[in-house]
Amino acid sequence: MAERNLEQLEKIREAVSQDLLSGRIELLLGWEKGHYWWQSRPLFASSEGDLARLTWDSFCAVNLSRYLLDELKDHQKVGVLVKGCDSRAFNRLLQDNMVQRDRVILYGLPCPGILDYNLLAAEAGSKLKGITEENGQVILKTEDGEIEVNRDEMLMVKCSECLYPDPVVYDQMLLEPLGQKEVPERFKAVNELEALSSEERFAYWEKELSRCLRCYACRQACPYCSCRECFVEQENPRWQGRAYQPSENFLFHLVRAYHGAGRCIDCGECQRACPVNIPLQELNRKLIKDINELYGDYEAGVDAEKEPPLLTYRPDDPAAFSEK
Amino acid sequence: MKKMIAADELAKLWIRLAEKSTLFLPVQDGPTVLYQPWKDGAQVELEAFNSAISPKDIFLPREETYLHYHCSGQSLELAAVEDDRAVTAFGIHPCDLKAIEMLDRVFMEQEPADSLYQKRREKTTVVALSCTKPDPFCFCGIFDVDPLDAPGADVMAHLVDGYMHLEARTEKGKALLEEAGDLLENSTIDKIEREIKTTDFGLDIKGLPEDLKSRFDDPAWDELYKSCLSCGVCTYVCPTCYCFDVEDYGHDAEGERFRCWDSCMFGHFTQMAGGHNPRPSRKERVRQRFMHKLQYYPEVYNEIACVGCGRCLRSCPVNLDIVQAIKALGGEKVEHR
Repeated sequence: MAERNLEQLEKIREAVSQDLLSGRIELLLGWEKGHYWWQSRPLFASSEGDLARLTWDSFCAVNLSRYLLDELKDHQKVGVLVKGCDSRAFNRLLQDNMVQRDRVILYGLPCPGILDYNLLAAEAGSKLKGITEENGQVILKTEDGEIEVNRDEMLMVKCSECLYPDPVVYDQMLLEPLGQKEVPERFKAVNELEALSSEERFAYWEKELSRCLRCYACRQACPYCSCRECFVEQENPRWQGRAYQPSENFLFHLVRAYHGAGRCIDCGECQRACPVNIPLQELNRKLIKDINELYGDYEAGVDAEKEPPLLTYRPDDPAAFSEK
Repeated sequence: MKKMIAADELAKLWIRLAEKSTLFLPVQDGPTVLYQPWKDGAQVELEAFNSAISPKDIFLPREETYLHYHCSGQSLELAAVEDDRAVTAFGIHPCDLKAIEMLDRVFMEQEPADSLYQKRREKTTVVALSCTKPDPFCFCGIFDVDPLDAPGADVMAHLVDGYMHLEARTEKGKALLEEAGDLLENSTIDKIEREIKTTDFGLDIKGLPEDLKSRFDDPAWDELYKSCLSCGVCTYVCPTCYCFDVEDYGHDAEGERFRCWDSCMFGHFTQMAGGHNPRPSRKERVRQRFMHKLQYYPEVYNEIACVGCGRCLRSCPVNLDIVQAIKALGGEKVEHR
């Protein structure tokens, strides 16, 4: 990780520190290392000293675009490092009128996908001390020696069906683009769930959602959940109760998913944020698939000029519910 | 009383204990390990570190119904919901048991005691289990937790060479071992020796609670909160967080009243009628949570409200955890700064 990206990191730091020093931006949203080599956390850099902590490696999972909602209140101009998904998140916020394009400088970082520590640790067997990467392989350094694994198999679920590793919107591309990615079987988990009977599917979701703590991490990490007041917190009328009943679990997750229909950029931050590993991305991916089938191919957040299908009306739109 | 049972015979012990009590064990639920009532066929993961949510769920359930109401015309009927069935909490690690003892002080040592909590605590027999291979997030050492011993346990258990050794330390614990007497043999070990290495992150927490007394307006708070997403993950996975809310489920004529977990990280946690919110932004909320752990709780109970279980280090989506907070507040050894 660090070894592979040292050169890239220098390039990134040089570009952003120029802009920070010249006043082109007042704040840079990036990543710094956490306590562990497999954790990179958000960095809010407003000085050269802060930038010394900047990192760019295979663990920069956190989508930084969402922080613009708060940081643009305090700063006139903010720079953000964006991966492919983060750039689509920016477009999402732009389309929702939550950010202003001219107050943000986007620095593009093509991303080969974020590695999942749990997968790496499981593969390692014994204690995993670190990794290096080369030519699409990850070399695990374990207590019992080195193990080589295919990088694509170690990706987080959130990255498993990524079609856009390169940022789709940016002011400055800082690294060499990777090109559009091939996904062997898109909607794999969705297809498997669709093959079940509706009873089986209900039982599946009832069980998965039974772990939900209603901590709302999925919502808080999500770039399409940018409502100033969520229906969950509304008091009058009160939509969402706090009981841990299946009906309340379904209410929250299904309303949220439908709210994201045609707007979800499939960044998978919801699933990554979930402390009890509920496969939330499958709900969102099902809606992406349905939207594509009903209204023609549409990838949310790829083109900020293209209206989301459910925010427009065409006389020939399918009306499946009214047809018998 | 010291007994033992072969590890591959443990299923028999679960069956026995579940006959007369609700038996909580760390079981695999999908991709996570959670303390749940044991059912036949459950995949028990005694050596999993650490369960996704702490076993505080057994004593302070995320949801607890305590009242049924029924209205008709001018009459209102109320019925208490009571569950007298005994509980066995099995496989509780020393850090988590220490955290439960911290909750005891809040719920039982104050007047009046919290009757719901007290009842659960009293009807539960705790079988603590010493740690074998803690995960990289464990940092209990700095909070004086001994991973090999949980002083407050009714039964202290150890997994050694294919056997589980069980030592009864209280009357409740003795009763539990007698209940399963025919399944157990006399233990052959006297003392458990095992080296458990956990990290300390270079933290030095000595004097921190006292120091923080005058640092409510410390500039460190202006930076620390920035990455916080305002979700409730840290509070819900944390073994020493105990805030709750009370709500009704049902409709005007009939329903139930329950209490459930609440989180100080939510914006509406302190929202008052009329709209005023004394903790209006993430800064005040993050400060509240860490001050509660590091200053308010210790001020009353002489102990930092953290046991180093590492759950916030593992689960916070943006890695804003208590170690980061302690470091930001200067609780680091000089050579690590």
